[in-house]
Amino acid sequence: MNISNPILIKEMRTRMRGRRSFLVLTGYVLVLSLILGLVYLVLSNNAPTSVVSSAGRYLTPVLIFVQMGLICLIAPTFSASAISSEREQETFDLLVVSLARPSTIVFGKVGASLSYLLLTLFGSLPLIALTWSLGGVALGDVAIAYLVMLVAGVTYCSMSFMWSTLVRRGVFAQLLSLFTVIFLVAAMPALAMFFTALASNFSGGPSQGFINVVYLLMRTNPFAAIAYLLFGLPMPQGVWMEKVPIWITQVIFYLGLTALSLFFSLRRLERVRKWL
Amino acid sequence: MGDNPNNTTSMIRLENVTKYYKTFPAVNNVSLEIARGEVFGFIGPNGAGKTTTIKMLATLMLPSDGRLSIGGYDIVSEPHEVRRIIGYMPDSFGVYEDLLVWEYLDYFASLYKVDPARRGRAISDVLELTDLAIKRDSQVMSLSRGMKQRLCLAKTLIHDPEVLLLDEPASGLDPHARIEIRELIRELCRMGKTVLVSSHILTELADFCTSIGIIEAGCLLASGRIDDITHQLAGHVMLEITVKGDPGPCVDALSERADIERVTCDGRAIRAEYTGDANEVDELLEYLIRGGARVLSFTRSEADLEDIFLKVTRGVVA
Repeated sequence: MNISNPILIKEMRTRMRGRRSFLVLTGYVLVLSLILGLVYLVLSNNAPTSVVSSAGRYLTPVLIFVQMGLICLIAPTFSASAISSEREQETFDLLVVSLARPSTIVFGKVGASLSYLLLTLFGSLPLIALTWSLGGVALGDVAIAYLVMLVAGVTYCSMSFMWSTLVRRGVFAQLLSLFTVIFLVAAMPALAMFFTALASNFSGGPSQGFINVVYLLMRTNPFAAIAYLLFGLPMPQGVWMEKVPIWITQVIFYLGLTALSLFFSLRRLERVRKWL
Repeated sequence: MGDNPNNTTSMIRLENVTKYYKTFPAVNNVSLEIARGEVFGFIGPNGAGKTTTIKMLATLMLPSDGRLSIGGYDIVSEPHEVRRIIGYMPDSFGVYEDLLVWEYLDYFASLYKVDPARRGRAISDVLELTDLAIKRDSQVMSLSRGMKQRLCLAKTLIHDPEVLLLDEPASGLDPHARIEIRELIRELCRMGKTVLVSSHILTELADFCTSIGIIEAGCLLASGRIDDITHQLAGHVMLEITVKGDPGPCVDALSERADIERVTCDGRAIRAEYTGDANEVDELLEYLIRGGARVLSFTRSEADLEDIFLKVTRGVVA
């Protein structure tokens, strides 16, 4: 990504100016703090001292899961209207007739959304430092969890950007982006559960093929990847890629989705004269 | 690769260009040439095909058929080269309200790859030209509509393009702002730019265009230098008559004559197109006076853009 990308600079200027960005970031950190505070309160009042003394073991996953949930909600809104809003406010023609290459537009717009996402992730660092200091979680695992969140954010931003090139109305692009994210994080586990339920009805238990499919679907889910990382989800004997950590395949799958989304966005913008 | 722009005399060229929206021909077999340094007025009613033609020239749309080139560069196969030499101002455009005026221009300067060392100077120059220097640090959203229009023109000029495509540049402006835009375009003409400017308000163009094209229902009905077209199309004498009292009977009397083609009346002023012998026009004055008209003035006038437009078009809206 070229840091001197004019679109990126312009987007940063407009996004960071005014109260909106400040309020979103403050709200994000406040929500996280509030949830952490409540969980800690419940723990300290109800759990035995041994649990409270290693509260980080519970607080860190809570913080990461809540952040992952927030990323699922806010990442699409960052870039789903990137192109549609330019079309709606009648500035897209001016952008197209300039000397900006499609790649400049794609990386400028997606980069601006990502930079804001990065800002929210950085905003949560003091909180994660606090929960980690309470013990129970390895620093490496926290770092990998952040990588999973970052890659998920990149993927959702890229997919949302692709929708914004495909759909004229910004609000529809937002909806489609949200549905895509919901499909990726909820429909895949739902499908996995469906297969598991189906397999349990078979006499003699599920076949190895079924188990493989269920675990393959699970490998596409960032929540499963984080759960594997922080709680150590057990892997059945002989399942495909048994020795490969879930987060690695999940990150690779999401990077693949990102590459595909960016590729289709580029193709769409290269053919802009056919659909404008 | 197209010709070197410096070697081409006709800067803008359209050859049998057709553009269909589904099955509807918005532009129909249009051929046109605009020479370097020419200020070309593209005239036509709303929906005539002006914007579609300009959008094709601006590389925003592909023609269904035919060939368009600017400065020798083909708009289909060499859009990037075309974009380098054109400045495009659409009829309706948006601005980034959150930016400051200089940031807005800086954004487009960097999109057009204006050398960073020259960027500050270029921004100052276009602000000066469009009379917006005082608004340099103002927020775009605080500008009036006329100022935003001038700002859009400023961004169109930021990379010093050779060709300007201005689609209805003064639409929606009050008379004062209209005059400002007109003066600006006049200044651009003096700078030697090749300008294609569209409008459906004829008086806007009459002042500064060197040539015109009249388009209706997607078809180019006439094009060329204003003098040539006037000579070619307005073979008839235009008469301007002012009468004392009700002009109605005089209009009726004129309409009855076979040598009068068209009569219009605006208040007490009557305009009539006389198709008879120009040397016998005194006979018409005599006829009116005999009929009881109290003629205050009776003058011959040259056909203007409005007369030509009315003569050529059929009032068809595409």
